[in-house]
Amino acid sequence: MKNIKFKILAFFALIAMYSCSDDFIDVKSPDPNTEDFFNTEEDYQKALVAAYDMLQSTAKIYQLGEIASDNTLCGGQDALDTPGFQEIDDMIHNPVNAQLRDIWTWMYTGVNRANYIMEFKDKIDFPNKTSVIAQTRFLRAYYYFQLVKWFGPVPMAIDTRIQFGDQFDIDRTPVADVYAQIEEDLEFAAANLPLTVNETGRITKGAAQALLGKVYLFDKKYPQSAAALKSVIDSNVYSLLTTEAPLMWENDHENGPESVFEIQYSDIEGGSYDCFYCLEGNYAIGFNGPRGYQGPFFDFGYSFNVPTQESFDAYEDGDIRRDYSILDINQWLADHPDASYDEDAGYEQTGYFNRKYIARKGDLNLPDAALTNPNNTRVIRYADVLLMYAEASAKANSGNPTSDSYEALNMVHRRAFGLPVNTPDPSDYAGLSASSFEDVILKERRLELMGEGHRFFDLVRMGKAADYIPGFQAPKNNLFPIPIQEIQLSGNRWDQNPGY
Amino acid sequence: MRQTFLKILTFLCVAIASAQTVQVSGIVQDNSGVPIPGVNVVVVNTSKGAVTDFDGGFSIANVEVGATLSFSYVGYVTKTLKVTDSSKLTVTMQEDLAQLNEVVVIGYGTQTKKETTGAVSVVGSQDIEALKPQRIEQALQGQVAGVNITTQSGSPGGGATISIRGISTNGDNRPLILVDGARIEDLSVLNPNDIESINILKDATAGIYGVQAANGVILIKTKSGRKEMPLTVEYNAYGGFQQTTRKIPVLNATEYALIVNEALAAGGNEPPYTNIASLGEGTDWQDQVFENAAIQNHNIRLSGGGEKSTYSYSGGFLTQDGIVGGSASNFTRFTNSANYNLDFLKNFKLVTGIRITRSNKRNLPENSNASVLFNALNMNPTLGVRDANGDYTIADGLGAEVINPIAQIDDNYNRTKIFRLSGNASLSYDFLDHFSVQTNIQFNYSEVKGKIFDPVAFFGSGKVFNVLDEATVTLSDTYYRDYLFDNILKYENTFGDVHNVKLMLGSSISKETGEFKGGTGYGLPSNDPADATLENASRVQLFNRNTGRYPTFDSRLLSYFARAQYDYKGKYLFSAVIRRDGSSNFGPENKFGYFPSGSIGWVASDENFLKDSKTINFLKIRGSYGIIGNSRIGAFRYLSLLNGEGTYIFNNQEVIGTASGAIGNPEIKWEKQKTLDIGLDMKLANNKISVTADYFKRRTEDLLVVPQISGLLGVGGAPYVNGGVVENEGAELVLGYTNTFSNDLKLSVNYNVTYLRNEVKYVNTDTGVLEGGAFGIGQPAPSRMEAGHALGYFYGYQTDGIYQTQDEINNSAVTNVAPQPGDIRFIDQNNDGVINEDDKVDLGNPIPDATMGINVSLDYKNFDFSAYAFASVGNDIVRNYENNNPLTNSTVYRLRRWTGPGTTNEYPRVTGGASPNALFSDYYVEDGSFIRLQNIQFGYSFSDKVLENTKINKLRMYVSANNLFTLTKYSGYDPTASNGAPIGGGIDQGFYPSAKTFLFGINLKF
Repeated sequence: MKNIKFKILAFFALIAMYSCSDDFIDVKSPDPNTEDFFNTEEDYQKALVAAYDMLQSTAKIYQLGEIASDNTLCGGQDALDTPGFQEIDDMIHNPVNAQLRDIWTWMYTGVNRANYIMEFKDKIDFPNKTSVIAQTRFLRAYYYFQLVKWFGPVPMAIDTRIQFGDQFDIDRTPVADVYAQIEEDLEFAAANLPLTVNETGRITKGAAQALLGKVYLFDKKYPQSAAALKSVIDSNVYSLLTTEAPLMWENDHENGPESVFEIQYSDIEGGSYDCFYCLEGNYAIGFNGPRGYQGPFFDFGYSFNVPTQESFDAYEDGDIRRDYSILDINQWLADHPDASYDEDAGYEQTGYFNRKYIARKGDLNLPDAALTNPNNTRVIRYADVLLMYAEASAKANSGNPTSDSYEALNMVHRRAFGLPVNTPDPSDYAGLSASSFEDVILKERRLELMGEGHRFFDLVRMGKAADYIPGFQAPKNNLFPIPIQEIQLSGNRWDQNPGY
Repeated sequence: MRQTFLKILTFLCVAIASAQTVQVSGIVQDNSGVPIPGVNVVVVNTSKGAVTDFDGGFSIANVEVGATLSFSYVGYVTKTLKVTDSSKLTVTMQEDLAQLNEVVVIGYGTQTKKETTGAVSVVGSQDIEALKPQRIEQALQGQVAGVNITTQSGSPGGGATISIRGISTNGDNRPLILVDGARIEDLSVLNPNDIESINILKDATAGIYGVQAANGVILIKTKSGRKEMPLTVEYNAYGGFQQTTRKIPVLNATEYALIVNEALAAGGNEPPYTNIASLGEGTDWQDQVFENAAIQNHNIRLSGGGEKSTYSYSGGFLTQDGIVGGSASNFTRFTNSANYNLDFLKNFKLVTGIRITRSNKRNLPENSNASVLFNALNMNPTLGVRDANGDYTIADGLGAEVINPIAQIDDNYNRTKIFRLSGNASLSYDFLDHFSVQTNIQFNYSEVKGKIFDPVAFFGSGKVFNVLDEATVTLSDTYYRDYLFDNILKYENTFGDVHNVKLMLGSSISKETGEFKGGTGYGLPSNDPADATLENASRVQLFNRNTGRYPTFDSRLLSYFARAQYDYKGKYLFSAVIRRDGSSNFGPENKFGYFPSGSIGWVASDENFLKDSKTINFLKIRGSYGIIGNSRIGAFRYLSLLNGEGTYIFNNQEVIGTASGAIGNPEIKWEKQKTLDIGLDMKLANNKISVTADYFKRRTEDLLVVPQISGLLGVGGAPYVNGGVVENEGAELVLGYTNTFSNDLKLSVNYNVTYLRNEVKYVNTDTGVLEGGAFGIGQPAPSRMEAGHALGYFYGYQTDGIYQTQDEINNSAVTNVAPQPGDIRFIDQNNDGVINEDDKVDLGNPIPDATMGINVSLDYKNFDFSAYAFASVGNDIVRNYENNNPLTNSTVYRLRRWTGPGTTNEYPRVTGGASPNALFSDYYVEDGSFIRLQNIQFGYSFSDKVLENTKINKLRMYVSANNLFTLTKYSGYDPTASNGAPIGGGIDQGFYPSAKTFLFGINLKF
């Protein structure tokens, strides 16, 4: 009996011991720790893909940039549909704006993902390292360029992530210093990237040079801008589409000869409204289209970003750009009796839609159809490069256009009227004064780049926004306000942009 | 030979003498003559015994004359009797003083109610049987003081949120639920028929369970067999139907057309309806979606026991259609449970149990602007269900979110299947007179298989529900495994007959793991649900695509605890607990926390001055205080991990990158809840009246919150920080009255009420605010957590009537969107001349100020009657089931809209143009107070005479109605609506209302 008792107690003691070690709650995470990465080239490449990823979130930047300008009205379902857009359209925006906060946060995400690679750039060596660093620095420059355009002086971290706690110690960097950093990054990228790549969507030397030219233009360093853009032209990699120009915006003409830098989207992954920056599709496409559209060629949308009558009328007769830039829905319905749309639904409807960036039929239309459109964003087209070169080369020459300035401008202008691009024509611009030339550049940029999200920033950098955009107050509206929560969440150390 | 004969005779005589046994039978009743079923009858010093049947009857064969019978039953004084002959016995048992021997489960042990020093509530199986809940939560609603239940959905199998004594954290407020010691989170897998009792620990004495007990503990004990009990078979069943409790009055076709014409005209558009007179009533879309839905439940139980063992098996089947969509929202559940207990030796015992549940729930979209009810309310009433071709009509012009709700029901193939296996085993051994050791192991395994099938479907151009080109299916397989392993050593002794000492030492480890498998298949070959597999898809995206592995979690706890209990003559009671808890959710520095709690009690009625009181039969005053830790956040939040989204497209193919996820905070540590309770228990007037009163204060400190963080840190997710204090203060009162007027008439009434005040004291985030919830489309979050307000209060504009004239507008502060006459006027709180974010104020909160319940039961002869109601006072609710599209239908208050100066100061004009009316304001916040008659039941039990010649021991039939009516001012479907979120709860997005149910049932026992 005593023996049994001993055995039973021994049994209890044995199993009790099993549960008596503090090690039991030391559990190792199955995901790698952020501080224990970059051990192989693959790690760098994967981190680089994640840095590219935030490019897709800039769909909002181009859509909202267009809405902010005089080209389009906000539209949408009703006056309260996406208040952050409506207020910017009406130039009554204030520091409480969820859309501006998205842009701020998403661009800093891109910056941090690029800086993550830079922070660990010396950990190991591998053959493609220079290429990885060059792409990374391009991306960092691109994200900072968006930030400085929208918000002016912004907090800047270089080669180190902004980590929890750092947000309380980081001041806004003067605009000049931000531009200097962007320019340095892009010079490096341009010097170390190839002209052509095997993988569509990878950044090229041309993209880096073109973006650098654009950055210099914004930074008013015209000779440098002209030089950078000239090297894009001289590379002979890019050309203007001629007969195919009207088809340029169809999906099977993506990444074509006119495309210098294009953000890639896809319709092969479904999307959800819970996470816009996670989308692989271009959400702006679905939001811009005609509400309730049924019929051939196009697909429905949520009637945002609608061109004004004045934009439509800005095109001269014979300018082929009008009809591939702006969809006149009533004319379209007249031409296509089987088509229809919800004419009465939607806010601020003009009867015009942003034809470059509305949904086409034939996409996979995965749930949610509005979020999964594959249309790429043409961030820098060769036409833009030519127009920027025309402007920069003139401004580098005290504003007086050179023959190169005229030729670049006229190439774009000839194409717009179906003329041979390289053959001088009586309709060519010539003999303009410095200020008239700038006006022509502004006008041609508007007509050429209608719907692409450049107009607002062109007007601001030329100091002419108040002349064109109803309600625009200079200098207040030259910059957008820093979202109030962002100021609070960083310890109330930053001054708001003037006027807000 | 003769000697031999004598010897044999003597032997026989002895044999006969020693074998003089009789068959003992009889009836056990209480002192009013009411039979007591379930009384344990044991022949002392033998293994023989029986349990009285439903009519108090028992019978034991072969009992020696002169043997002693012992009769024992909870709440009664144990009685002994000598067997003299075989005549039928009538045994009258005396009720024990104040029924205070009722056993209360207190955590790793039991106590009598008299000894208990904590705030513990008990719900017995009678209460559960009376209510016929499909889910356990329904049995707790309004029954137990301090326990508040909000319904996440009235759909079959829909969930409910339990909160005990208020909302104490912005995180997980769920109490710890233990079924026979095994932790359970989804109560829908449990069959209420299997439950013997529910004990709810509401104060710091729950601290013995330590981690996860901060929100209280619910201990559920399932039924088992009894020793020496013959095989007993019970069959319980009910069937009936359910219907909606309410329809929201909306415009009929004629009214709709008039209002739409007016709205479009106000927005400067052409009125679409020209021939209004021909429209009539049109389609009542709510009549189309609501239906009478069937419900039936069957349960069979076999139980019994031998000399050293007991056994029980129960099988149940429930199937329930929904009042919306009928079989398209069906819930079906099969439950099996068995337990077996065996005494290897008198002091070495084994307890085992196993439960297997399968359920299948079909899911209709609900409680969002995609829900069937949302569509039924907003659908154009001038349209029929089907068009001239017999196809479903298209909801043209009603916005992207509104579609034909019948087409939606018809297109639903979503379901969730759950398989769950739980088991528990416990060994205990008593030694050296005063010591015992015990080891318990419990485990759960569950599989949740979800299917979301979207066949190609077209509901109208631009509808978010459309699936245009290819059918897709998402199949998810989620696996959860957990176990809990406790080891306990106890010492129990009495010194000098008056000093009672109990000591306990224990350790506990638990591990919870989960894995989320599955994927989405695109490009299915057809719309046939049978083809909806990943194998048939032309492209598959598995959930592991981002990282190459399926998401998993592994969360562990390790605890040591000690408890000391001491009482002097059962009159002065003391108890103290200390725990050391470790959680794998915290970093190396902060894994462990120490959590003490203690309680005292004084049984004043045992003192001389009250001992002989005729009025006060029992009085106990008790108090408890303790600190309990909470670590219920996700695993690894102290680390920054590479689990973010970072996919880009190269060569038109997705390339998956590596990005950081949520930011880790190595500093995070235990959230602490400090709980104070002072209470008294009293019995009055010959124990006919019982009173329990409690005051409590719960203060949660170092709240684990996820603050908003600077955008500079990116999108991966904010870290947890310890920052915030929430206080819940309140009082509970429970009054009971039980009286047996005669053999034929017995009445009992129970009433409970809980007052609660919730206040956030401090939020340590940079903005001092946490936000949540959603209102409208793209509007700022309506719910907040902020110091000085209730947790989850509603934040928006305060209104001041309707602008009657343009002059009034010109003289007022207005929003960005300029109002017109007939629009809502908002109050400029800071008088700065504009209405903006700074003018938003506290518009109420979803936490009730008081909740109460009342329970009446009346037995008269063979008839029984019971009724039960509960009420909630002071909870606010946000009406968010209306669409702002000018063409969607609306509720009838639009008929009272503003149409010109002086017409109304309450209801704004209708317009399709710009107006600030849809901004979140108190116009959308309603008082959600209500009183609901939750159950009324009338039963008849057949008398013994009728059943005499059958094998049936008990036969009862009843009719029952649940949720018969609700009195409320709230204009939505159901004022109990809430998703249960601490921040963002109480917002009604087209809630699936709780059904009104009519049942007929039968209880049968062999």
